[in-house]
Amino acid sequence: MEVGGYLLPDDLWYHKEHFWVRMEGDVATVGVTDFFQKLAGEISYLELPSEGDEYSQDNVVGTVETGKWVGKIYSPLSGTITEVNSEVVDEPALANRDPYGSGWLFKLKASDLSELENLFKGEAALKWMEEEIRKKAK
Amino acid sequence: MYLFNLDRMPDLLSMVIFHELAREGVEALVIVSPEKPLISIGYFQDAHQEVDLDYIKSSGLPLFRREVGGGTTYLDENQIFYQVIYSRKNKRFPQTIRQAYEVLSEPPCRAHERFGIKVRFREVNDLVTEDGRKIGGEGGADIGECMVFVGSMLMDFDYQTMSRVAKIPDEKWRDKVYKSLEENLTTMRRELGELPNRKEVQEILIAEFQKVLGPLEKAELTPDFLRRARELERQMQKPEFLFGKRKGEVDSLKIKSGLNLIFGQHKARGGLIRTIQEVEGPSLGGTIQDLSISGDFTLIPRKSLREGLERSIIGTRREKYELFPRIAQFMESKDKEMPGVNTEDIIMALGLKD
Repeated sequence: MEVGGYLLPDDLWYHKEHFWVRMEGDVATVGVTDFFQKLAGEISYLELPSEGDEYSQDNVVGTVETGKWVGKIYSPLSGTITEVNSEVVDEPALANRDPYGSGWLFKLKASDLSELENLFKGEAALKWMEEEIRKKAK
Repeated sequence: MYLFNLDRMPDLLSMVIFHELAREGVEALVIVSPEKPLISIGYFQDAHQEVDLDYIKSSGLPLFRREVGGGTTYLDENQIFYQVIYSRKNKRFPQTIRQAYEVLSEPPCRAHERFGIKVRFREVNDLVTEDGRKIGGEGGADIGECMVFVGSMLMDFDYQTMSRVAKIPDEKWRDKVYKSLEENLTTMRRELGELPNRKEVQEILIAEFQKVLGPLEKAELTPDFLRRARELERQMQKPEFLFGKRKGEVDSLKIKSGLNLIFGQHKARGGLIRTIQEVEGPSLGGTIQDLSISGDFTLIPRKSLREGLERSIIGTRREKYELFPRIAQFMESKDKEMPGVNTEDIIMALGLKD
């Protein structure tokens, strides 16, 4: 679906800091939302976690530079990093061009699927995004 | 929110203070200048690639890697730095990067105006004069639980040292870096014809920030805080942090927002080819305004380098598909010889890989 000009695919879960999660079994693919990349502007650098690193939900796992601002990348779920997208590290603008596709950031094996309840999906995601647009994209 | 008007502080410490305040969650406006010059690199920069480390060592210039983005900067006492630190949870202040730049750039713009210099904020993060020259750069970071917005008022600027500090692949381009900086970056001194009074700049800047941030409570750094800041300085000077980044092969130097010098090099069968490109707009897809090619390859006659190859590229968008036919046309011309170099080599030397 599209909310206020921002793509918000229905089948994904969303973390409050604007990271999306696609679940395949217990493996979560993580990327930035369309809202994130549009508001942040051109992503110039990414620092991502390493395979094997373990994180808890909401932990800072990396950094991202957009417009000379260094922001944080959060882990939407607890788990172990299983794969990092080296292409997006080499070419961070991929996360701008294709945030839900080739611009994905990393995959992690989730250790507690009940944490998905702390993310937004479907109708809840729609309401959350509308509120975010009202607060941040004026 | 606190106000720390620190005037001048020791070089590295002057830039460490805001990092420590943010780590401790202290909401504050910091106004500070370094007592002595230093070189500051952005969080994602590779010091080995960006900075002429031999030069700064021999000149006694300390190197600092900030947790804020952006490029290499030369800092000295003629620049007054402002740093705004606030909790991400504090809804009184901007919640997004874009909002932060827009709202918090207003005070320095108005401060310039009070000195008679018309300055506006230009996305993404530059303060520019009416004629489009940069007079201040800004940046920011999420540090600890805080958002940190930083920038500087350039009372004066040492173009010579800045152009000397940048690491460039070919020394003969040093003058190009200097000229590009001088043409595109201005200062209060240049605009006013004289150096403004430091205290006056500080006071006006603070007054303008108060209009946006609300009342500020004057505060001083305690000995305990300074001890913690010194410890953080020690951590940030460790080689694993200072030299902790590694980048790709092509290097660049940002002159101002939307104008970059891009350096490229490629070893062709016929020799090493080096390029420096002045690119307006995005690095990929922007326009190559100027170009210089050098190296140890053979090209006969030599004048066809400027008159043929470089001219065929200048004015073109920096995209492989746009450049390829132009370069190919030059390479196929019969009135020159360039053994061991083909069109693809030139594309590679321009830093455009497949």
